Amino acid sequence: MHPFAYFEPTTVDEAIALLARHGGDAQLMAGGTDLLVEIKESLRRPAVVINIKKVPDLGGLACDEAHGLRIGALVTVRAIETSAAVSRLYPAIAEAVREIGSIQIRNRATLVGNVCRASPSADTLPPLIAAGTVAAISGPGGARSVPLGEFFTGPGRTVLTAGEIVTAIALPPPAAQAGASYIKHGRRRAMELATVGVAVSLRRDGDVCRDVRIVLGAVAPTPIRATAAEMLLEGRAPDPARLEEAGCAAQDQSRPIDNVRASAAYRRAMVGVLTRRAIAAAWERTT
Amino acid sequence: MTSVIGRSVTRWDTLGKVTGSAVYAGDVALPGLLHGKIKRSTVAHARIRAIDASRALALPGVRAVLTHADVPRVLHYGSPHPRSASVTKDQYILDTTVRYHGEGVAAVAADSEEIAEAALELITVDYEPLPALLTVADALAPGAPAIHAVGPGGNLVLDPVVVTRGDVAAGFAAADLIVEGTYTLGRPVPAYMEPNVCVCQWDALGKLTIWTSTQSPFMVRGTLAEVLGLPLTKVRVLVDHMGGGFGAKQDLFQHEFLCALLAQRTGRPVRMEFSRKETFLGGRTRHSGSIRLKQGFRRDGTITAREAEIVFDSGAYGSHGPGVTAVATASLTSLYRCDNVHLVGRCVYTNTPIAGAFRGYGVVQSYYALDSQMDEAAEQLGLDPAALKLMNAVRDGDLAPSGHPIVGHGLEDCIRRGLEETGWAARRAAPKSHDTGRRRRGWGMGCEMHGSSAYPGIKEQGNAIVRMNEDGTVTLFTGTTGLGTGAHTALAQITAEELGVRFEDVAVVHGDTDVVPWDIGAFASHTTYMAGRACQMAAAQVKAKVLARAADRLEVAADDLDIRDGVVTVRGVPGLSLTVADAIAAERGIPAPQLVGEDSYRPTKSYSFAAHFVEVEVDTETGQIDVVQVVPVHEIGKVIHPVAAAGQIEGGIQQGIGHTLTEDFRVDPRDGRPLNASFVDYKMPLAMDMPPIRTIILETAPDEGGPFGAKGVGEDPIIAIGPAIANAVHDAIGVRFRHYPITPEQVLAALAEKGATPTPGAADQPDQTDQ
Repeated sequence: MHPFAYFEPTTVDEAIALLARHGGDAQLMAGGTDLLVEIKESLRRPAVVINIKKVPDLGGLACDEAHGLRIGALVTVRAIETSAAVSRLYPAIAEAVREIGSIQIRNRATLVGNVCRASPSADTLPPLIAAGTVAAISGPGGARSVPLGEFFTGPGRTVLTAGEIVTAIALPPPAAQAGASYIKHGRRRAMELATVGVAVSLRRDGDVCRDVRIVLGAVAPTPIRATAAEMLLEGRAPDPARLEEAGCAAQDQSRPIDNVRASAAYRRAMVGVLTRRAIAAAWERTT
Repeated sequence: MTSVIGRSVTRWDTLGKVTGSAVYAGDVALPGLLHGKIKRSTVAHARIRAIDASRALALPGVRAVLTHADVPRVLHYGSPHPRSASVTKDQYILDTTVRYHGEGVAAVAADSEEIAEAALELITVDYEPLPALLTVADALAPGAPAIHAVGPGGNLVLDPVVVTRGDVAAGFAAADLIVEGTYTLGRPVPAYMEPNVCVCQWDALGKLTIWTSTQSPFMVRGTLAEVLGLPLTKVRVLVDHMGGGFGAKQDLFQHEFLCALLAQRTGRPVRMEFSRKETFLGGRTRHSGSIRLKQGFRRDGTITAREAEIVFDSGAYGSHGPGVTAVATASLTSLYRCDNVHLVGRCVYTNTPIAGAFRGYGVVQSYYALDSQMDEAAEQLGLDPAALKLMNAVRDGDLAPSGHPIVGHGLEDCIRRGLEETGWAARRAAPKSHDTGRRRRGWGMGCEMHGSSAYPGIKEQGNAIVRMNEDGTVTLFTGTTGLGTGAHTALAQITAEELGVRFEDVAVVHGDTDVVPWDIGAFASHTTYMAGRACQMAAAQVKAKVLARAADRLEVAADDLDIRDGVVTVRGVPGLSLTVADAIAAERGIPAPQLVGEDSYRPTKSYSFAAHFVEVEVDTETGQIDVVQVVPVHEIGKVIHPVAAAGQIEGGIQQGIGHTLTEDFRVDPRDGRPLNASFVDYKMPLAMDMPPIRTIILETAPDEGGPFGAKGVGEDPIIAIGPAIANAVHDAIGVRFRHYPITPEQVLAALAEKGATPTPGAADQPDQTDQ
């Protein structure tokens, strides 16, 4: 493994100071499940690794109807996966975290790490964005909050500036009669990167959908909102014809690439299929 | 006595494996160990103008660098089977030409892996590009440059293999129906759990010891000795436990030579281990290519003629190309009876990764084509495919691909049993909603047969030495390798059974070429069959010696004695007995003479058979194919260890599902760069992807040659699953695929072409809900 300097700060401020001092040469490490593999395979060569696992204020998983869900930077994916409250209140998040790697990986990996890694195909990003998640950020200039929908700027790139750390993410409480879903399309059932991922959150108002959010993963440089499809559904019943239209609209908005996993054309077609299925699944859950 | 044959005794290797105490080649830690790494080519075809290693040598901690200028220039077999035509001498340890992206061009030994890796980056190679021939078509094109100076020319690895029987023209003339198709073959890799690894050390007398993960330690010994110019006494090969090989680890790989030479150059032990990526780049793949197959049928289903042209892509070197081509070509004489065949097999060099030996050796490819086409013919003849296969199944007395007569009715038994177990007739007759359902189910079946041992293609023999110790326990010496199949446990069972001692009293010594009897290697489904028979024969010799001694003591004729559970008993005299230990005990202080048996078994030829029955579900919106359930029926003669045999079958099915649906090692068609040389994008099915498998093992056609009638099972399970899946897909959606892997994208494209895309909102229920 490529050599690097290693730090274990014990406070957020110390971590920020280290990060600010070493700038682009430094990598923050929480679970390390992506970072260490990338260092071993020489895909990244950070001069400095800052392990934040010793920072006490970064843990904490809180989930209830009144306050929503708050996930500290060090909370493991497995902790979220095994939380009964998360499964009940945020089924799409629960579905997505189960898709990450293996149980061994999920015991180490953190959800906030998955967010900050900003992979276009990350499973948790579409449902988190659809749920209206906000990132709590601390940095040399103080604290700020950024909705995840505005957090990603490209593959592996975010709005974080030098010295900034995401200390937690927060999801608002689910609305009454809300439903959410995440559907992943891959080549096998586990240990897989999404070829396409679609998350939907919506609210049932009688026979029609409200507050529809449709987020597409792995079909653009960042997760993207399928806004045209959302508008088609807003205030409408999700009948088969409407689902078909929404699927086509989402398909048109996707910008997938060709690679060894799938062709762009296939990915686009799957956006349509998965969007229809994800809307139907989310709607099912509102009843 | 309770027979130990057919009992799933506790495998002696599992405790060490699950506790981590089992020693693999990579675990060997020696004082002063250096770490070796290989610099690999980043171009598919080039002449090396110059290599500059000066910066690497200057790096602190680097102990040696080897380039083509520093190693013996000896042409060698990549896959050294003595007494066999199945190999090609076309490799150098390091050459001045690189022939595929990933070929080793230099090697470094350093104090740590990190330093060795850093040193690789400091080596600069000046390549003079040569035209890269990345497909068989490119390599066979008129005027294509020659990839090798050896061989018959035209980029052929060997002269075409031609097999002819009967009169094909007359056969086609007599046909009521002719079916023809071209089948294209993907490029799966064996993806064994343990990446290639070796440790080399030289002693003061110039003897090399190499611990290496190999299926054929005596081949490693022979080739290293030849290339390094040493007698066999100066090369010792050790292999204890292995994490799989699936055929590929029959070859010698560049690192095994380079590690030995680095250790020699530095005077220190050197360890070299492939990264997972290197197992793709520098490993071996199954042969891709194409098979054009044409068959004639009478209206009643009789096959009148069969013609095939196989073209395999050997990649950059010959490796097992000759053997695989010969086996695949000959295999098409059989499985389904046909008197008139004309078969041609070619194997072609290209500038792509090396194809080698891989479980199912050529037959995975040929029977995918043959069995798929049988289904197609059945459809056109208006016959049930299973009925067509059953009526044409090879049987007792028919000539096998090896030229030997087939013994028994194994294939017919497998098909019949599968038909009963699956309720085939009712399932195939069930109505299908081909035009509307979103998820559609179908059933398919496929058949296979495979030889136990590579005889007569390779003039093989199994050897064994059995020694009884003073306390009546037994030590078995075998040269066979333990790939992880449990074969050594089976050998101990056979030895115990023949001798009449308890299984627990037999210990197995293996994995040291200085100690154990010569063995050709663990491959060709032959370890239990061939070495097992040698164990039985050697054990019989020891038994005779024990009985002779017991006869003296008991003052009865040896013919009246038998040994059961370690006790010598006299027939018809229940009270009179003697433990084996007492029988061989010292007499008046004089120990018994050595109680050693040793024997060699040269095989007759045995074939095992299977029919796989598969249900699939196709999602017609995504194109995804799910294997819902598999019922494999195997006829393998007498089963020695049922759990281990079933494990082979289930593992083969898992690999076969991967080959058929997801696994394909791809190279960039523009420059030969591998596109998915990692498990991120090379996808094997995992536990979550596995359907229920209801394994049925028949013992209806035991072979006289095998121990207690046993035959091989290692390779069989990976063969029939492929066509069974393809045939089930056809049953589900009415689309016939003539290639593998069958990807979701291709399923959708085929459905669209057929005009069979589902109605939006159609029922999301499968046709058949029973499981």
